[in-house]
Amino acid sequence: MATEEDNTVREPLDLIRLSLDEKVYVKLKGERELRGKLHAYDQHLNMILGDVEETVTMVEIDEETFEEIIKTNKRMVPYLFVRGDGVILVSPPLRS
Amino acid sequence: MLFYSYFKTLVGKEVTVELKNDLAITGTLHSVDQYLNIKLNNIRVVNEQKYPHMLSVRACFVRGSVVRFILLPPGSVDVELLHDATRREARGG
Amino acid sequence: MDGQVLLPPNIEDIPPPGLALVEELDKLLLVQLRDGRKIIGTLRSFDQFANLVLQGAKERIIVGTQYAEIPLGLHVVRGENVVLLGELDLAREPPAGLELVSEAAIKQAQRAEREADKMKGTLRARFDFLDDI
Repeated sequence: MATEEDNTVREPLDLIRLSLDEKVYVKLKGERELRGKLHAYDQHLNMILGDVEETVTMVEIDEETFEEIIKTNKRMVPYLFVRGDGVILVSPPLRS
Repeated sequence: MLFYSYFKTLVGKEVTVELKNDLAITGTLHSVDQYLNIKLNNIRVVNEQKYPHMLSVRACFVRGSVVRFILLPPGSVDVELLHDATRREARGG
Repeated sequence: MDGQVLLPPNIEDIPPPGLALVEELDKLLLVQLRDGRKIIGTLRSFDQFANLVLQGAKERIIVGTQYAEIPLGLHVVRGENVVLLGELDLAREPPAGLELVSEAAIKQAQRAEREADKMKGTLRARFDFLDDI
């Protein structure tokens, strides 16, 4: 089914279509970031990612010195469905 | 309708639904509708001590709009199938 | 996975919107709202937005190991505020390890909890103020 038309970028979501089966970066609400392989998406930017690394950044206050400590928590998830309404941006893979 | 169709294939499988309020619930997927509202059976709550009100809840309906993530069972993800369905949906089919 | 293609559903296979909660009708449910409150009641009606009519509703407040239930009567809950509906297992009701106290006692405990949280906040705010000097 691969036609020339498939590689043209006419609207924003076409760029995401070209990232299928590639590693993408997704920034989400609530200081969350995902890096993983894009396996599916729809017009709402609901997505399924594979081999996902999730990074959550939070600011904690040290109980004694009251200094702000920036903490990042990472976890790996084999396959993750992401609801589109939490997505801030999707970045296609960097090609070097 | 891609994800609605896909989640229908997961009925009967165990998934973990993580909500926007950080509550995470593992259970058997009982049903899904076109809004991606989800019903789970035989649920257990991750970090149960923090959510004592869930101790007597066995089955639940989660409104689609409050879902952040759904952790999928690796054995039920056919990536080729998803790629094909996504390309078809992107063409508007 | 059995099928080789993931086909869009046939239009007649999609259930009409607003039937998701049919199985829950007339059951005793625990409804968690977006502001964290928990309402218990019998589901008498609903629609496609998950707007709910709860009969004999009561708010269950849990603080630490104590809980109380405050009668609310008949309630209509707007769907967008619904996080989840839990079917209560009557054999596990009330939840083990929780002690039923009066409305006054739980409100007191809630205030104490809020004060403790606020205290942390003010201390932090004071230190932020010092940072700005």
